[in-house]
Amino acid sequence: MGEVEKLCDKVISTDLLIVGSEGAGGHAAIKAHSHGTSVLILTKGKIGQCGASQMAGVDFNVDGKTAKKLGFIGDDRDSPARFFEDLVREGLYLNNQKMVEKYVEYAPKAMKDLMDWGMRIYGYDSVHTEEMARGITSAGTYWVAAIRKKVKELKIPMLEDIMLIDLLIREGRIAGAIALNIKSGETILIKCKAIILATGGWHRAYSFHTGSYDLTGDGIGIAYRAGAELISMEMVQFCPITMVWPPKDRGSIALYVLSCIDPFDKYIQLVNNKGERFMEKYDPINLEKSTKEIVSIASELEVENGRGGPHGGIFFSLKHLRTKFIDAIIRIANNRIKNELKDTRYEFTTLIPELIKKCKTENIEVGNGAHYMGGGIKVNENTETTIPGLFAAGECSGGLWGAVRVASACTEVGVQGIIAGEVSPKYVKKVEQAEINENQVREILDRINKPLMRDEGITPNELTKKMHEISGKKVGLIKEGSLLKEATEELEEIINNDLKNLCITSTKSKELNDEWIKAIELRNLLTCLYLSAKSSLIREESRGEFYRRDYTYTDHDNWLKTIVMKQKNGELDIKFEKPVVTKISLPKGKLTYQEAIGVATASLKRE
Amino acid sequence: MEEKKIIKVKSFRFDPQKDEKPYYDTFNVPISGKMSVQDCLVYIRENEDPSLAFFINCRLGFCRRCLIRVNGKSCFSCLTDAEDDIVVEPLIKDQVIRDLWSKDI
Ligand SMILES: Cc1cc2nc3c(=O)[nH]c(=O)nc-3n(C[C@H](O)[C@H](O)[C@H](O)COP(=O)(O)OP(=O)(O)OC[C@H]3O[C@@H](n4cnc5c(N)ncnc54)[C@H](O)[C@@H]3O)c2cc1C
Ligand code: FES
Repeated sequence: MGEVEKLCDKVISTDLLIVGSEGAGGHAAIKAHSHGTSVLILTKGKIGQCGASQMAGVDFNVDGKTAKKLGFIGDDRDSPARFFEDLVREGLYLNNQKMVEKYVEYAPKAMKDLMDWGMRIYGYDSVHTEEMARGITSAGTYWVAAIRKKVKELKIPMLEDIMLIDLLIREGRIAGAIALNIKSGETILIKCKAIILATGGWHRAYSFHTGSYDLTGDGIGIAYRAGAELISMEMVQFCPITMVWPPKDRGSIALYVLSCIDPFDKYIQLVNNKGERFMEKYDPINLEKSTKEIVSIASELEVENGRGGPHGGIFFSLKHLRTKFIDAIIRIANNRIKNELKDTRYEFTTLIPELIKKCKTENIEVGNGAHYMGGGIKVNENTETTIPGLFAAGECSGGLWGAVRVASACTEVGVQGIIAGEVSPKYVKKVEQAEINENQVREILDRINKPLMRDEGITPNELTKKMHEISGKKVGLIKEGSLLKEATEELEEIINNDLKNLCITSTKSKELNDEWIKAIELRNLLTCLYLSAKSSLIREESRGEFYRRDYTYTDHDNWLKTIVMKQKNGELDIKFEKPVVTKISLPKGKLTYQEAIGVATASLKRE
Repeated sequence: MEEKKIIKVKSFRFDPQKDEKPYYDTFNVPISGKMSVQDCLVYIRENEDPSLAFFINCRLGFCRRCLIRVNGKSCFSCLTDAEDDIVVEPLIKDQVIRDLWSKDI
């Protein structure tokens, strides 16, 4: 054993390392394995029991014409070309059109795989689009269970409850990675030729979010440190009607899901603390059925103007309905969920009926939870990042959606999982294992161990509070230059000082030391939040999911460009890139935000 | 008005690397609004003792890994209401990694 092998507690070799085991990572692993590549999955949780995928509603998208070939009712008026056009137009033209083409082309393949692997399907619906039925519905839990079953069947090796810490780079390309076993505290040196990052979002940078505990932007932060380019970090989607209160239900999007389903969508009202149905003011025609963005912004404005609830939300209300009618809604919901779909998820079998029942006597406080990260590691249509040997798939990647995630993210992660699983084996065949840089390993180990050695400084809990204070107040849904500027300055200060001064004092034990894991995650969360604040400050317009109250126009003349960031010699390097165009040329002109997203009826004036 | 109430959460503690045998710690947790047992454990970890080890992931019954014992009965900590004083223990007491996380969850 060489010197470098002795630095970590364990050494493992593989050709291809896949980080993240869910919709993107699991799918990629199965594909790469079928190409005869030696694959190792590394996941912070257990396969099928972590990440956002398990929590998804879930819907997948396939254009109506191709859906027919898969055996669904489909829609003959639809076509892959039409689906492509919708994605680019509704994404407000910031999409990488080559990636969109691949999305449309591979969507049926991803669907077919999941059907072959035995994922149960609920039905075919018009999710995400009004005009065209393109949605195949199921449950996130069925989705990840199908992937898990296939991965286990193929006996793909897995490291569970183990987290990626950093990438090892030699001469500009992947040489391996360092990982940490959360249960035992052991460090692992992984030698490999290529890596697919499929680590999902960075929800926990916000105190109010819809995701799971393992979503801490590790892949994005790690790729950035390794010198990869990131794109569109300002694009963060917030989900309206997310449960704010009580604490037990906080973060659940059950009521949002309900508000999208026929016939329940007809009866739902959102009211402020005066009982006023405030959407009448913001979008009198579409009301609660306005777009996700408008409903979110309107709720936020109500809260800002003192008409919110005690915990910072607005209210979901059925008070306009008679008790008997509410009982009927519960019966319909129960029948649909328990008898027709035979769904077993707590949110559906228990929480939804409980909440509707509660609506007989009270309103329920809901708000905008950080939900989906539109930006991330910059990839091309082949899931290649700017570092040779490094691929990214799923929510941790960026470039596909432009300014609004208008269709299924679950289809995105499957599509990119397949592509990464096809492309990376070819790369693996071409290259030799690069040598590990001993100094880099030492630096990484030294860095993660420091907080354990310190007896004074700032604790991970204190720093998390500081971060949440900033994300909640200054990098939220409605953005404003002066606040973003403060946020970037404060985050710079935190990254340069507090982050280097973290200390873990409650226990020095390395087994299941949540404080230690938090200290490691904070570096990634703060990187994501900082870069998001910074690119939000740079983008002086409003577009889709991105709303700046000091620049409310969607400015095609000046802002049809993406913001690309990377670390160069320890400094942040920022550039603009025109979106990749294949078929739809970029429009010109300046539209109001509402016109641009097609809700010309909405008024979002500040009071 | 929301009820404000303080409950006692008595938790099993054990670090096999350090402790000769398990012991119990009791924490006061303010309850406001309906809280799960997991919410109480998060409260303790954020405000009282950051070293408390327990499992958390989806918080809403999806991952089905947050198994512990509350007053002796096995349950998912995120789905179990915390209304009165409780005793929390790991699912399998003689297979503990630390505190409330037993090996096979
Ligand atoms: C509540 C909720 C509901 C949703 N509903 C829908 C829906 O109905 N339709 C839709 O299209 N989209 C929906 N989305 C979005 C969609 O579910 C996600 O975008 C998608 O599942 C992401 O898949 P992924 O594989 O990229 O990441 P995830 O499923 O989030 O998986 C990330 C993986 O990376 C692992 N990981 C993270 N960091 C590390 C590390 N350092 N080391 C090792 N492993 C790591 C995690 O443990 C996990 O295995 C929803 C999201 C949420 C939160
Ligand atoms: S934390 Fe996932 S089921 Fe309780």
